[in-house]
Amino acid sequence: MEMTEQFEKTARELEDRIRPQIEEAKKKVSDLNGRAVSYIKENPGKCLLGAIAAGYIIGRIASR
Amino acid sequence: MESSESGTLNGQRTEGNSGRAGAGAITVGQRVDRVSDTAQEAWSRTRETVSELKERLDIEGRVQRNPYGMVAAALGVGYLLGGGFFSPLTARLFRVALRIGVRVAAIPFLENEIRGFAEAVVTGSEGDEGDGEAASSGEGKRSQHKGTKGGKR
Repeated sequence: MEMTEQFEKTARELEDRIRPQIEEAKKKVSDLNGRAVSYIKENPGKCLLGAIAAGYIIGRIASR
Repeated sequence: MESSESGTLNGQRTEGNSGRAGAGAITVGQRVDRVSDTAQEAWSRTRETVSELKERLDIEGRVQRNPYGMVAAALGVGYLLGGGFFSPLTARLFRVALRIGVRVAAIPFLENEIRGFAEAVVTGSEGDEGDGEAASSGEGKRSQHKGTKGGKR
């Protein structure tokens, strides 16, 4: 019984410690995604040409 | 225009039989004008075609609606242009994608089959029990008092 309680306590502490970091990482990823989407929307031609160029280079490397 | 004037135009020679300025002769200036007109016409037509193509394709709208998809499509187009289609990497990617696709398609199918089978087994056993109970009701409560399942006999 005591062991279960101890285990629960440890798990709760671990969760309390990790949860803020996970939340922060989630927020960062979401922010990055938003910035990437807005950049693509603002510069569609540049992004598409860049993507085509990148794909071309990857294709050239893959075809060797 | 000024081509009818004595065979010259701004000091340029007229074209014709040995420099004679006939009624049907075309000066170099006229020819230049005509070429520039044709070029302008071709340019305006090209611009019209390009703008029409832009409207039809609606690339900006598509990018606004689905930015990542369009970038991925552009990457794919570049990859194909780079000659990566008939390459070992493409074959490997294709095999992996096929395997994942088959799994993704097969798992719900198998899940449905198993669920249907389990439901059929459960409903079948319940039906058997119901039938057994109905059949054993004639035996009376004697067997129930004995603690035996009359329907299973």
